[in-house]
Amino acid sequence: MEFYHFVEQTIQLDNREERARVEHFLANHSLRLEADVDYSIAIYRQGMVVATGSLAGNVLKCIAVDPEYEGRGIAGRVVSRLVAEAYSRGLLHLFIYTKPENAGKFSQLGFYKIIEVPAGVVLMENRPDGITAYLKQLKKYKRSANMVASIVVNCNPFTKGHQYLIEKAARACELLHLFVVWEDRSVFPPEVRYQLVKDGIKHLPNVEVHKGKDYIISNVTFPTYFIKSPDEAVKTQSLLDIKIFAKFIAPALGIKRRYVGTEPDCPVTGRYNQTMKTVLPGYGIEVIELPRLSIKGVVVSASQVRKHLRQKELHLVKELVPEITYNFLRSKDADSILEKIGNEAGGGLIGAKKNRNGRHT
Amino acid sequence: MELKKTGMAGTLESSDILVVIEPKNSEGIDILLESVVIKQFGDQIRKIISNTLRELGINQVIVRANDKGALDCVIKARVQAAVSRATGSKECFWRVVES
Repeated sequence: MEFYHFVEQTIQLDNREERARVEHFLANHSLRLEADVDYSIAIYRQGMVVATGSLAGNVLKCIAVDPEYEGRGIAGRVVSRLVAEAYSRGLLHLFIYTKPENAGKFSQLGFYKIIEVPAGVVLMENRPDGITAYLKQLKKYKRSANMVASIVVNCNPFTKGHQYLIEKAARACELLHLFVVWEDRSVFPPEVRYQLVKDGIKHLPNVEVHKGKDYIISNVTFPTYFIKSPDEAVKTQSLLDIKIFAKFIAPALGIKRRYVGTEPDCPVTGRYNQTMKTVLPGYGIEVIELPRLSIKGVVVSASQVRKHLRQKELHLVKELVPEITYNFLRSKDADSILEKIGNEAGGGLIGAKKNRNGRHT
Repeated sequence: MELKKTGMAGTLESSDILVVIEPKNSEGIDILLESVVIKQFGDQIRKIISNTLRELGINQVIVRANDKGALDCVIKARVQAAVSRATGSKECFWRVVES
């Protein structure tokens, strides 16, 4: 075998020329540099890109090796570099998306398969006991009941609309497992969202509140939820997220029903709900769509609340949120969050770049 | 020595080993090993990992290692480096591993 000299380089993502070179290389391999990528490397030979790979938080993605240079350990080099970078950022639990035909390659690089969806995507993680450990934790809350249901909420922030939905769902079942989306990519951090929900539903004895972590609507299972770019990826990711729920989470807790609020506005969430209705019944899980709460003819939504907050109309917020949220918003703890909302150009979720402090910017 | 956090050393390139060291709540050295030569050298690799850890006084630990055919001295060095990162120790225990 000929000896080649390969040079490894971190890509300055804000350097247009460097970025374009990687994008071009990826395009040749039917991939694109996804919007939420916050760290990329490339391997060059004589100034030409021969391999590349990226990180988006704790997810390795956009990995490609020129077939001409395969079998020289380049994929290993790319993955090693990405894993080392993630670890140095304190991200220890890593995930990777790949095509089924490449799953074997990544399993040699220390990744374990979680699930495969028909669209030809496999999700893998870097620890053999990742999802099983999460399920073991969940199973502690398993209780037998006539009807065990579930609801997943982001609550950015917790509104009367959420409270209404949760109350309605809780009344219609014996035990309700509520998952709070755990990704720290909404304006309100996960701990705050979790605490407000928890306090706001205290009067409902049959609701168990859980942290969604990596396996429910997260940067891992459903990144487009946070980027809000409606494209074909939404379809695949919805499917993947819902399949993980159906195959692992629901059986762990004996969940037979999932509640969801109607989604008139957001196409991504709308799509997700649609997929849920198609897929879940096949796993013996009923999907019930509940009409959302309207106040004075307007549907209550967290994005509406954030809009008012952006325009400093706290008096208008008061009507839309439970007391617990209102009190929080008026407290000192909310100062930094309100400031963040004030600085936002619009849209509810902040982009990957803003709060993933990669080294590159 | 006490492990404060997860430490990692090494790469997945040929002739190297990627070692990840995590603190564990209970006594014991748990080794999850993958190796391209596990049939021939699995036991030997485990022995080097646990001996190196014992020498450093680490006995509550989970080790995840992915070996790509590393030599014994490389395994030892990678384990030491991972430990030093996991303990956050400034103390230097570098010396010639084997000559």
